[in-house]
Amino acid sequence: MKKTKAIRSSKLKYYGAILALLVASSIAARTQDAKIPPDVEKLSAKAKETVEVTMDGPMLHWASKFLSADDPEEAKCAKLVANLKGIYVRSFEFDKDGAYSTADVEALRSQFRSPTWSRVVGVRSDHDGDNVDIFFKLENEKMAGIVIIAAEARELTYVNIVGPLEVDQLADLGGEFGIPKLSRRSLSKAEKGDHK
Amino acid sequence: MTPMNEPNDRLDDALKNALRRQEAPDGFADGLMARAAQQHSTPEPIHRDSWLRFLTRPLVRWATLAAVAASMVLGVHVYQVRRERAEGEAAKERLMIALHIAGAKLQLARSKVNEIRTDQSTNHQVKE
Amino acid sequence: MAERIPAEQSPETLRTDVSETDFAEIVHRHQSMVFSIAQHFLADRSAAEELAQDVFLQLHANLLTLKSEDHMKFWLRKVTAHRCIDYKRRRKPTQLSFDDTPEPAAAVKSPDLFLARRLRELVASLPEKPRLVVILRYQEDMSAEDIANILAMPLATVKSHLQRSLAMLREKVTRTIGEVTI
Repeated sequence: MKKTKAIRSSKLKYYGAILALLVASSIAARTQDAKIPPDVEKLSAKAKETVEVTMDGPMLHWASKFLSADDPEEAKCAKLVANLKGIYVRSFEFDKDGAYSTADVEALRSQFRSPTWSRVVGVRSDHDGDNVDIFFKLENEKMAGIVIIAAEARELTYVNIVGPLEVDQLADLGGEFGIPKLSRRSLSKAEKGDHK
Repeated sequence: MTPMNEPNDRLDDALKNALRRQEAPDGFADGLMARAAQQHSTPEPIHRDSWLRFLTRPLVRWATLAAVAASMVLGVHVYQVRRERAEGEAAKERLMIALHIAGAKLQLARSKVNEIRTDQSTNHQVKE
Repeated sequence: MAERIPAEQSPETLRTDVSETDFAEIVHRHQSMVFSIAQHFLADRSAAEELAQDVFLQLHANLLTLKSEDHMKFWLRKVTAHRCIDYKRRRKPTQLSFDDTPEPAAAVKSPDLFLARRLRELVASLPEKPRLVVILRYQEDMSAEDIANILAMPLATVKSHLQRSLAMLREKVTRTIGEVTI
C-alpha cells in the first residue's frame, strides 16, 4: 500500500514537472516570437507621437499588389517583401530626453536572447547616446527574420520583419538621407485612404 | 524653354523625376464614361405633354429603365473598384513607411559603426 | 505659347461634330497629364481621379471652342490648375506659408530611392500657387511666361514663387548627416 502510494506520488511529480516544462517553454516561445512585445506597447503612453504598422502575411501580400513595377522605389519594395510573412513597426517620438529608461530598452532586448536569435550588431554611441541592436533569426541556417531596436535620445524604434530578406536591399531603402519626419499626418493619410 | 533663376541641376533633375507624369488609374476612362452616362440619363426638361406621350411608348419606357439600371450597376461597380483601390493604396503607403523606417535604422547602425571605426583609426594614429 | 480661351458656349451648340470615339481618344491622350497635375497638387489619388474626370466632363462641354491641339492642352492645364485650387479652398480655407512646410527629422545628402517620394511630399505641402508653379514647371516643362498666363498671375510673381519654392526644397533635402559607408 505504502509502495503504491509512493509510486503514484512520484509519477504525479514526474508528470507535473513535464507539464510545467511544457507550459514554460510554450510561454517562452510565444514571448520570443511575439511580433510586438507587450513592453513595447506600454511606451506609447509616454510618447508624443507614435508610428504603428502591423502587417501580417495576407495583408502584406495584398498591399504589395498595389506596388507599381513602373516606380523604381516601389518595384524594389515589391521584390523585398515577396517572401515576407509579416512586418511590425513601432516608432515612438518623445518630447524630451530621458522619457524612456534603459530598463525599457533592456526589457526589449532580452526578448531576443535565445538560441533562435543572434545579435549581429550592437552599437553604443558615446557621442549622442544613440544605441542600435540588430538581431537575426535563423532557421535551418537560413535567415528567417530580423529585429531592429534603435534607441535614440527622443526616439525609440522597434522593427520586427518576419521572413527571409536581403538586408542590404532593406538598408538601401533607408537611403543616405535618413528618415523623413514621420508624423501622424503621414500615417493618418495612409489610414484614411481615399474614401469619398 | 526659358532658363530659371536658380541653377541647380541636381535638384532640377530630382524634381523632374519626382514630378514626372503618372499613368491615370485603371478604369479612369470607364469611370468617366459612366459619369457622363449618368449625367446624360437625366431626362431633358421638355414640354410636359410631350414628355408624357414620349414615355408612354412601352419600348422607350423599358429602354430608359434599362439604361438607367445599367448605368447604376456600372456606377456601383466603379465605386467598389475605386474603394478597393483606395484601401489598397492606403495599405501600400503603410508598407512603404514601415520599410523606410527599417531601412533608415539600418543606415543609422551603419553610420554608428562607421563613427566607431573612424574613432578607432584616429586613436591608433595618435598612439603611433 | 499663350492663347486666350474664348468664353464658354452653350452646351446645346456643341457635341455635334465630335464623336464619342474621338472624345475617348482625346481622353486617352491627355489623361496622364491632367491626372498627374491633380495628383501632384492634391497628393490624394482618389480625389485627383475625380477632379481629372470633372475636367474632362467640362472639356466635353467645350470641345468645339478649342481650335488646336496646343489650345486644348493649354485649356486642360488651365482648367485643371484652377479646379485644384478651388478644390483645396473648399476643403481647407487656411493658406499655408513656406514656414508651415514640414521639416525632415534627419538631414539628407544625395539621391536615394525615397528622394522622389519626399520631394513629392514637400511639393504637396507648398502653398497653393507656388505648388502649381513648381508642378507646371517640372511636370510639364513649361516656361515662366506660359505658367503666368495659365495661372493669371504676373511673370515676376511666378519667378518669385519658383525661386522661393526651390530654395525651400533645396534647404530641406540637402542638409547632411555625414557620410554613410560600410
